Amino acid sequence: MTATMREFRDRATIAIEDVRLQTALEAATGRFCTARAAALAKLPWVEAMRDQFKAMRAATLANLAQHLEQFERQATAVGAQVHWARGGAEACAIVTGIAQRRGVTLVTKSKSMATEEIHLNTALAQAGIQPVETDLGEWIIQLAGEAPSHIIAPAIHKTKEQVAALFAQELGQTELPADIPALTAVARQMLRAKFLAAGMGISGGNLAVAETGSVVLVTNEGNGRMVTSAPPVHVAVIGIEKIAPTWDDAALWLSLLARSATGQPMSIYTTVVTGPKRAGDPDGPEEVHVVLLDNGRSQLIGSKYEEILQCIRCGACLNICPVYREAGGHAYGSPYSGPIGAVLSPLLFGLEKYPALPHASSLCGACKEVCPARIDLPRMLLELRADLVAQGLASPVEQFLEQGAALTMRSSRVWQFVTAMGRWGQRPLLQNGRLTLPASLNPVGERQLPHLAAKSFRELWRQGEV
Amino acid sequence: MTARTEILQRLRAQRREVNVPHPWQSRQRFDDLGQQFAAALTAVYGKVYLAASLEEASGQLGQLLAELGARRVVANDELLLSALDPAARWPDLVWHIVGQTPGDLRAFAAAADVGLSSAAAAIAETGSLLIASGPGRSRLVTLLPPVHVVLLPARLLITDLFTFIAARGGEMPANMTFVSGPSKTADIEQTMSIGVHGPKQLSVILYQE
Amino acid sequence: MNPIALFVTCLVDQALPEVGVATARLLRRAGFQVEFPQAQTCCGQPFFNSGYRTQARELAQHTVALLQPYEAIVLPSGSCTAMIRLEYPHLLADNPRWYYAARRVAAKTYELSEFLAKFAPDFLADHKLETMPLVSSKSPITYHDSCHMNRMLHLRAQPRAALRAAGYEIVEMAESERCCGFGGLFSVKMPEVSNAMTVAKLRLARQTAVTTLITADPGCLQQMRGMVCPGDGLVVKHLAVALEEALSGNAEEQEQ
Repeated sequence: MTATMREFRDRATIAIEDVRLQTALEAATGRFCTARAAALAKLPWVEAMRDQFKAMRAATLANLAQHLEQFERQATAVGAQVHWARGGAEACAIVTGIAQRRGVTLVTKSKSMATEEIHLNTALAQAGIQPVETDLGEWIIQLAGEAPSHIIAPAIHKTKEQVAALFAQELGQTELPADIPALTAVARQMLRAKFLAAGMGISGGNLAVAETGSVVLVTNEGNGRMVTSAPPVHVAVIGIEKIAPTWDDAALWLSLLARSATGQPMSIYTTVVTGPKRAGDPDGPEEVHVVLLDNGRSQLIGSKYEEILQCIRCGACLNICPVYREAGGHAYGSPYSGPIGAVLSPLLFGLEKYPALPHASSLCGACKEVCPARIDLPRMLLELRADLVAQGLASPVEQFLEQGAALTMRSSRVWQFVTAMGRWGQRPLLQNGRLTLPASLNPVGERQLPHLAAKSFRELWRQGEV
Repeated sequence: MTARTEILQRLRAQRREVNVPHPWQSRQRFDDLGQQFAAALTAVYGKVYLAASLEEASGQLGQLLAELGARRVVANDELLLSALDPAARWPDLVWHIVGQTPGDLRAFAAAADVGLSSAAAAIAETGSLLIASGPGRSRLVTLLPPVHVVLLPARLLITDLFTFIAARGGEMPANMTFVSGPSKTADIEQTMSIGVHGPKQLSVILYQE
Repeated sequence: MNPIALFVTCLVDQALPEVGVATARLLRRAGFQVEFPQAQTCCGQPFFNSGYRTQARELAQHTVALLQPYEAIVLPSGSCTAMIRLEYPHLLADNPRWYYAARRVAAKTYELSEFLAKFAPDFLADHKLETMPLVSSKSPITYHDSCHMNRMLHLRAQPRAALRAAGYEIVEMAESERCCGFGGLFSVKMPEVSNAMTVAKLRLARQTAVTTLITADPGCLQQMRGMVCPGDGLVVKHLAVALEEALSGNAEEQEQ
């Protein structure tokens, strides 16, 4: 996947012209924003808590190797197996290897951005293993063969009619009523059978706690509990940056995560997995594996972009982002969309593949304001834009125009000359003093373009008209 | 070079001395933990019944099982529940007590009407029940049946997550879940729908001893 | 007080001169001696924001050298004020001489409503009293918080206080802080998304049923004005123009 300027604009235009999608996006993101604000307002010390959280995340990243080793020691001590993966292919090989060793043909998955990032489902399918997404939203987009369009609400772009059609097809029926409780019941029934039949459960991890070697999973549906309880093997794939050194740190993390994401004080299920089932446990997986995924993250430690690794994937920056709210998630061409995706995708997957994303922002700063870790996303977008220019990834036309304009503006005399030429040059284009872009050239309607005034301010000043 | 060595080397090269912030100290204060717990859980569609004694609680449990029309009940083998001896008390129902009743626990739980358990603790602020795995405590009992009923003595109530963390013992169970309501989703058109994978109903009988 | 410098911004200079005129007149009414340093061009923000650091640095140096002699600098733009005040020192940090010069200029640079609130706190209200007969009843307006002015300079109360003192009644729109879609060169690079954002913003403004939308940033002004259909009844005005109209008694003339 990539996001060139053309691709981003084309995909965004499709979203902008889709009235149903626009209505759904606006309503969903608006609801998340309102719920988040209300939930945070109930904590009298929330701003101090965010400062504390940021300080904790920064301190953890500065000493990440030590915390990862501690996690590994503790997890191993309780019988979990810890694996390290430099990149996506390596991580996929580890997971499919475990499945093949156990003779697994069906795996159930709970929602995980890390496995989206490494395209684990494709790798599993290629190895003859059927992966079934069990988060309702993820399952919907898996059936549709699409990518998630929101970090926490992956099927935000689908209507109930579209979902009914997908489910009917999966069931081999001609039609299902577009009734949300009924569709939920269908999913419950169909996926219940998968949970009980699966030979392996795969999850991501919202965080890992070094102190006890635990992986923490947050879900509302209960699929996180299912994949970690029903199958004989559980594999968690988690980015190396998602470490909380202690349970005090984890408590702080959990206090902000659900509130920032959905406005819930706590998600319905917060599951803590600490190794496989113990002697005397009536059920639970015999094997627990944790795959620590690097995939470009360690390169960011110590760089000007290290702060981005403080992200906990709550999605608050997507919901507030005016660009995301119009363009939708698919425009970004990455599992990570919105402001976090605009920074993370070029950093993890290559700036040359995602040259449009640093520009997919009006730099309004709303993302930074709602981020639980106060990550300075606008600052990083600016840095990425400078990197685009420095690495010669900006288009030659843009470079010529920018450099030319700057040269012009370094002298007010040249500037006056050029603008005077512009005044003369724009005359044939103006009609009744307006420069109009017709609706046929603009998806959202006619627009008046900026043009030069008949007299500049400096002329008026010199002529004593001010 | 192994992946582990390579990743750790790269991270170690960037290691910095930093001041680690002290643990978060501010705490919520609730005058009545039971009331706060009930309010928080009710707000997320959980049901809370209050009882003045274990005897009254067991009466409410019997009534609840009758109202649900429960036939098959799977129960964790916990001290609290064994004191109640539910199988003897409600002999008309088909019981599977974890570790005691012979037969396939998983198959029984998958077809049970109600899962019955206690909890290791309950967090008042968020209305969360702490369900931990261990001997006699099955994960599937509290997960597979459409209804999960919890008998909760009031002494297990604690203020918030931080208080729980501070008081927690050293060792973690293999699986510990904070349950804060019945299973729900809003993945189709952002419309709330209850009971997608986990229990559709969560009823807590909170009693004084 | 010594003369203050008016930095009108390149956009106002070339495309929206009436905003500069209103700003200068307003400052004179408040008793300040206003100068227009003729060599001014652009603060460099468009270059900085699109990654052209070298070009931005050159314009920053040009501007710092130009504005250094003045006691105070006033801009009719929150965004350009934020550039000079918050970005210049970073941009020029490599050279100590330029860095300190940038810090000094940054410290005396003000957005218009901020300047009035700080140095002429009673001027609008007093002026209003003196000219009472000229100005009719309160006209309702709604106010758009431009992003950099709001989130980088934290100026929310000042523009509103100025508008109220000048006699306007503010009808707050929902999400007044939501971006109008301008974003500088963002509006050129991604016009579809930018315009869709403007449509969303104008929808919120229209929900107030008020016909005048005020903003303190020329960029937002031009963006929103561009997407207002002729004849749909919504007028977008710059803060300086609205204030000057109220004080000169021109608002009624224009509306009639």
